[in-house]
Amino acid sequence: MLRVSGAVREAPVFRVEGLTRSYRVGDADVRALAGVDLEIGSGELVVVAGPSGSGKSTLLHLLGALDAPDAGRVFVEGRDLATLGERQRTLLRRQRLGFVFQAFHLVPVLDALENVEYPLVIDGVPRAERRARAAAALDSVGLGERMSHRPDRLSGGERQRVAIARALVHRPRAVLADEPTGNLDSGNALRVFELLAALGREHGATVVVSTHDPELVARAPRVVTLRDGRVARDERRPEAVS
Amino acid sequence: MSPLEIARLALRNLARNRRRTALSLAVVAAGTAALVVTAGFVRFSFDGLREAMIHGGLGHLEIADAAAAAARGAALDRPASPALADWREVRRALEALPHVTAVGANLHLMGLAQSADGRSVSFVGVGAEPDRERRMGFEVRLREGSDLPAAAPAPGADAALLARGLAESLGVRAGEVVTLVATTPEGTLNALDVTVAGVVTTGVAELDTRFLKLPLASAQRLAQTDSVSNLLVGLDDTRATGAALAAARAALAGRAAPLAVTPWSERAPFYGQVRDLYLGIFVFLGTIVVVLVVLAASNTLVMSILERVREIGTLRAIGTGRGQIAALLVAEAAWLGALGALAGAALGLGAVLGLNAAGLRMPPPPGAVDPIDLRLALVPEAFAGGALLMILVLVLAALLPAARAARLAIVDALGHV
Repeated sequence: MLRVSGAVREAPVFRVEGLTRSYRVGDADVRALAGVDLEIGSGELVVVAGPSGSGKSTLLHLLGALDAPDAGRVFVEGRDLATLGERQRTLLRRQRLGFVFQAFHLVPVLDALENVEYPLVIDGVPRAERRARAAAALDSVGLGERMSHRPDRLSGGERQRVAIARALVHRPRAVLADEPTGNLDSGNALRVFELLAALGREHGATVVVSTHDPELVARAPRVVTLRDGRVARDERRPEAVS
Repeated sequence: MSPLEIARLALRNLARNRRRTALSLAVVAAGTAALVVTAGFVRFSFDGLREAMIHGGLGHLEIADAAAAAARGAALDRPASPALADWREVRRALEALPHVTAVGANLHLMGLAQSADGRSVSFVGVGAEPDRERRMGFEVRLREGSDLPAAAPAPGADAALLARGLAESLGVRAGEVVTLVATTPEGTLNALDVTVAGVVTTGVAELDTRFLKLPLASAQRLAQTDSVSNLLVGLDDTRATGAALAAARAALAGRAAPLAVTPWSERAPFYGQVRDLYLGIFVFLGTIVVVLVVLAASNTLVMSILERVREIGTLRAIGTGRGQIAALLVAEAAWLGALGALAGAALGLGAVLGLNAAGLRMPPPPGAVDPIDLRLALVPEAFAGGALLMILVLVLAALLPAARAARLAIVDALGHV
């Protein structure tokens, strides 16, 4: 099994400098990020807030090595992503990061246990070990009884909990959750957010969640608000409930 | 991700859209079955033609005087002159060899046949030994009358089998007498009255207008010679031809007058031409089948990828390598090929057995006289080759779409609707 190497000890998990990213939409250039500087430390729970089109998803994509900026730099555990090749970025995502998406994006032909097991399969973890770890991860999100259910037999909240278990099963350094509650009702949204926060704490993982749900924003210990592709506010609130 | 894991996941993915997968499997199965059936027909045709030619008069091996054989040049089907004088000794040596069922002597003649009412037709004749030809499995296709007697006829009791075209031209039937006139090796003319024992067909329309057969003793009386043109060796199995050829050459080596030992295949250029023609047709049909399968399968594979762009983006996002994505998609194609080929092999087997049991007949091939039974051979190489070809074709068809899918920009793929 290949391992990502070269992490700089004590470096922030994420650091971005002067990040800009534009997209071509029709004939127009849309600037999603227009010079973002940000640092996120180990074990932090950060909510990236802002209205639609403010650049939340783009920022998470760049932090997760899913996309490359037009200008600026992204450091993950001290490594400049611009210096990593395609294969190293793939390994970084596979071993150091976890992802949760708004639309869950589970593999429909795999049951809950197999979906959670998948990151360990691609990383070459032996079958017995990965089955045990995947089962434990599903237990930790309260789906120990639904392991053999395929996604189409799970509710939206349950699917997102499977996705959270999949994001954490390989013990990543950070989890990036892009609008993870966008497809859920308010009750489920809150439960999923609290689950992410609790499991992040339990695993010592940094959790970055993008959302425009004010109820979640109110519970976050740190809120980075984006507006027009820039950091409009970076607020730390140690008293927040999560 | 191990190859086993990739294969397992690929198989699962095939079950996503069962109807489309079933349709693709049907196309691959039909293609494989078409290859199996066509190969069975071609093989049966080859085998049938080969055995028909061998048992229709070629024999498995021909022994002839080397100089006479060389002199006949391109006319490979028969030697030019009765140059084999010590043929009985040669025959004794050959009949002692393994796989040899009998060795028959032939004397070839050309001349004029005349009926009692004065009609004359040129003939191509052969003097042969009916008892030995029967042991060699030679066919006599009688249309009326009876076959030649096994024993050599006494002088004045000569008989002949006339091909039906020749008999019609002469206006004779079984039991009537014709006079044969031929040139002796010394260049003089000789005549012999023969009774028409029977009317036969050679199976070849052109040859039927000229051919006649008479006992070797009668032919030798007509040609006034004790020699023969050649010896034909019959074997118990055509597959033993190579071994028998080597054994015959070894047994006949060192003779003062060297003999040429020629296998049937070298004396049957027609067989080679038909074989090449059939193989050409087979390759042409095979190419059409492959193109159809590629078109149908490519459509399925591309549709399957287009439906999963977001999922592919997700898998890439959570750390699946480009190679793993490509391998997964190619493995799906390989499964389609393998399962389709398996079904196709079963379908092909059923078609071969069913068609053989149906007892269908086909019209006579060009130049032939009789309709032929439609029979298909079971060709193991066609089953294995067809299956491998289908897997290979599917994998090749998947390479480009798989490579494109693996190179999708992750963010674009995640946002794909």
